[in-house]
Amino acid sequence: MVIKLIGYAQSLPTRRVILTLNELGLSYELEAVTEIHTIKTDDFLANKHAFGKIPVLCDGDFKINESRAICRYLVSKYQKDAKIVLIPDDINKVSLIEQYISYELSYFDPPLTKILLQEVFNKRRGEPIDEAIVKQAREEIEKVLDVYEKILVGKDYLNGEYSLADLFHFPCAHYVCTDTQQGDIFDTRPNVKRWLDNLRNRDAYKKTYAE
Amino acid sequence: MTIKVIGFARSTNTLRVISCLNELGIPYQLEPPADFAAIKKDDYLANKHPFGKIPVLYDGDYKISESRAICRYLVSKYQGKYNNTILIPHDVHEAGLVDQFIFYESFYYEPVVAKIIIHEIVLKTPESEIAKRALKDLDKVLGVYDKLLEGKEYLNGEFSLADLFHYPCAHFIYSSHADLWDKRPNVKKWLNRLRNRDAWKASLEKKNKL
Repeated sequence: MVIKLIGYAQSLPTRRVILTLNELGLSYELEAVTEIHTIKTDDFLANKHAFGKIPVLCDGDFKINESRAICRYLVSKYQKDAKIVLIPDDINKVSLIEQYISYELSYFDPPLTKILLQEVFNKRRGEPIDEAIVKQAREEIEKVLDVYEKILVGKDYLNGEYSLADLFHFPCAHYVCTDTQQGDIFDTRPNVKRWLDNLRNRDAYKKTYAE
Repeated sequence: MTIKVIGFARSTNTLRVISCLNELGIPYQLEPPADFAAIKKDDYLANKHPFGKIPVLYDGDYKISESRAICRYLVSKYQGKYNNTILIPHDVHEAGLVDQFIFYESFYYEPVVAKIIIHEIVLKTPESEIAKRALKDLDKVLGVYDKLLEGKEYLNGEFSLADLFHYPCAHFIYSSHADLWDKRPNVKKWLNRLRNRDAWKASLEKKNKL
């Protein structure tokens, strides 16, 4: 039975799941959500996502939501049949990957999301960009990226070898590069730039972003 | 070699780890830093946590930070070793759902409760607009949780790491906003089960001693 993904291909959390599906070589059907009101209906809240969010993944009768939980589930279930290791077996390595996943949630995504909200989403809605918020978010992410620049010294990926932690970071970072005025924050840090370039040159990423 | 946790027993993030250690029956030592300034010093940033945060856990030479990552590590390594408590089930589907509820805690629950804690307890500005709005948001979130808990004792049926993660934050604001929690029968019963767990009571003793 084919995996079904309910989401919006250009949304960051949906991209995270599509990247994982592509890395694992899994086929899936995308049930595109194009209008936000469809995910706020009583039926969606009762049966798909209690907080009215996408993506939601259906694997046969099994249903799961929250992009990072979905990705971890896909790896747990399907990695053994795939040609790639996104989460290794070694407990110590796995746990450092979980640590980097927590860094992504806590320190990396929030300021980038603030920038995206202003320069992409507000702009799309015809609302003014609050430059003070962009400035503050930029200062915040610059300090975070200084830490990442040190973490990535002598390494191509956060934990040495490519893992789910690197994948999780990519959608937000890439969107800031392609669709905002703040992409230089990555380019001016050679280790961070190399890391993101390594990621965007992976076949799964080229496939995901071609769609 | 005993596990060492660097953190403050009164911090919600450290309490998350202490609860997990207690639930799994793992012995540990808590080493509080001198004060909050100590975790922003160059030595701490270089050797313990590059973002200047607590808790940090040492298991022999192995070091890991970020409370939820630490707890997952403890479960991976020690679940079943000291007692029979299961915090992350073995079945891949059940584990996936526990994970899903952990992200509900991270995105929809904790940020709202954290704002209330910061404004009411840390900044002592309970009348601020941010605190008032956060309380309204929490009311809505708990409405969702009441439905999620319908016919269940815990979020995924049986007690798991997801339930554990929710309690430390709740503890700090429950007494000043009991009505918000208690008006929802499923949430009220759930919270009562969590606060009556032996592991939580042991964690609270630690907090109150230090």
